Amino acid sequence: MAHIVLDKVTKSYAGGVTAVDAVDLEIRDGELMVLLGPSGCGKSTTLRMIAGLETISSGDLYIDGERVNEKDPRDRDLAIVFQNYALYPHMNVARNLGFGLKLRRVPPAEIERRVQETARMLGIEALLKRRPAQLSGGQRQRVALGRALVRQPRGFLLDEPLSNLDAQLRTTMRLELIKLHRQLGATIIHVTHDQLEAMTMGERICIMDGGKVVQVGPPADVYRNPASLFVAGFLASPPMNLLPAAVVGSDGGGLAVRVGATTLPLPEEYLQAYAGCRDRSVVLGVRPEDLHEAAPALPQITVAANAVEMVGPEVILVGTPEGLETEASARLSRAFRAEPGDRISLGVDMRQIHLFDPATGLAVPRPDLGFEPHRR
Amino acid sequence: MSALFAPTLAARDRRFGYAMAAPAIVVLAAIILAPVALALATSLFDYTLMNMTFDRFIGFDNFVAALSSSEFANSMVVTTLFVIAVVALEFVIGFIVALMLTTVKRGKNIYYLILLIPLLINPVVVGLIWRMLLHPTLGIVNWLLGGIGVPDIDWLGHPGTAFWTVVLVDIWHQVSFMAVLLTAGLSALPTEPYEAARAEGAGTLQTFWYITLPLMKPVIAVTLLIRLIFAIKTYDLIYIMTRGGPGDATDLISYYIYRSAFARLNLGEAAAMAILLMVIVIVLTLALFRTMRARG
Repeated sequence: MAHIVLDKVTKSYAGGVTAVDAVDLEIRDGELMVLLGPSGCGKSTTLRMIAGLETISSGDLYIDGERVNEKDPRDRDLAIVFQNYALYPHMNVARNLGFGLKLRRVPPAEIERRVQETARMLGIEALLKRRPAQLSGGQRQRVALGRALVRQPRGFLLDEPLSNLDAQLRTTMRLELIKLHRQLGATIIHVTHDQLEAMTMGERICIMDGGKVVQVGPPADVYRNPASLFVAGFLASPPMNLLPAAVVGSDGGGLAVRVGATTLPLPEEYLQAYAGCRDRSVVLGVRPEDLHEAAPALPQITVAANAVEMVGPEVILVGTPEGLETEASARLSRAFRAEPGDRISLGVDMRQIHLFDPATGLAVPRPDLGFEPHRR
Repeated sequence: MSALFAPTLAARDRRFGYAMAAPAIVVLAAIILAPVALALATSLFDYTLMNMTFDRFIGFDNFVAALSSSEFANSMVVTTLFVIAVVALEFVIGFIVALMLTTVKRGKNIYYLILLIPLLINPVVVGLIWRMLLHPTLGIVNWLLGGIGVPDIDWLGHPGTAFWTVVLVDIWHQVSFMAVLLTAGLSALPTEPYEAARAEGAGTLQTFWYITLPLMKPVIAVTLLIRLIFAIKTYDLIYIMTRGGPGDATDLISYYIYRSAFARLNLGEAAAMAILLMVIVIVLTLALFRTMRARG
């Protein structure tokens, strides 16, 4: 089992490019941590530094309390699964699985036993004699996973292992990985650019952007309280609506958010937290599911419908709020109907909104009232 | 409709293809097939430069004579040793150079240029240059060796040294061929298995043995076979440097055939030996094709 700590880990290249910038991160023993971010954010480089495939320019990496910066990959005892699987094309599946053990001079009988056991666990016993070229993408993926499992390493590093699979297979493998994690209780670091994968798999998510860690936390926390505009715009699909707005005073000493032609009163619980934003421009963040049709009890905003997308369990309304040019989306019930051009009044669940400082891109901290969605 | 027209269209395409290829086929037939046929015919007649007529058919007598001649046997042994020595040494040196070249980051083109220079030189010129350099009394090699106290060596005049001298000169000339082909093979290898092997804890030697060598097998097979076929035909180097001597120490088969035809004037027997050599080369070529197909 492995407890992995990154202390200001940095990777910079000769040309002055810094791919990973002073990353601090702790992965607890037995935890499934997801590194999430757009391509080029440094998540894969971070993983490769942990694996020992890239040198660490500065900072320290500890595994189980021991500094391992200069240690060979083989001595770190972590298994990595690559995006393209990186199977040995000239070896059959059984030899692919057993190669790491052979390098470690495990007796052949023991290799045979563990290969069989792993193959059974992954349902690939029938493929042991085949070469990688004779396997489908999903089968290769299993073999790559098996190659990591068979070694019984301290931890697993998964570098976008699902991104080459088709959508259906990805969902299946996602569930299998979660099951496997529960079964083995092993430390897993999973790198992905797919926010849905991160949300469903991760016990904690570490969101990276531009080589830096932007936010770390359990998926629900990160979703409910995005630390920055980047996180707010990256998670979920459609992502949080981010609208230019300003905080103004309202009658009776309260505060309100003026967004376009609409003024929305802020809940009392947030007055103290948002007092500093008074008379300043902010970015208002509202999740599409916090906009409700036919909710007269909530403050209303009027949008002009641009598109209505029927996605099955719900309807996504894309519209432009009055007085704005930015579009916003709302997840509405599947019974909702509208034509492009219709003006629709939506209720805003103000307890779930966030305000961001447009200059720093950071969320203005506010108390968390818990997740009590407005009931229809 | 298109299915209806497809056969005719394909047939027309084929006819057009043959028409375009016809001139080349005619020329090749004239300059390759005809001489081969003539050689085949010659090998079955008592045909000498003293009596250049096809008037005495002797069946396989020329082949029997060749195969029972001790000189032919000797040249076969010398050729076999030469081919094995040259191909094996060039392969080992070439592979080491190729492996080193793949790790070079800057100035790769300069190394390629240096490597290619010997390959660009005509074998006759290579022979002449080295004959000069290795001249027992006037050559620069003995002069340099003399500087460190090594007594003069008769590189080409002594049966024991002449063979290895020719081998070394051939290596100097041809090793780049191996190096360049193997470098191309190495650079075409996928990088992922290497990363995986490193992550699994393979050291340099283990990576070479378990990853590089098996992945390179097809390239190695093709490279070895091409070089083998060319090495068997080595002629110019021998003609310029040793004329098969001293004695018969460097009497490679190609040179021996030449001597049979133009020194002993026995064209019939020379043709028979040339046919035997051709059969060997064809067998090797078929092996080459098979390897290349297996790779594809």
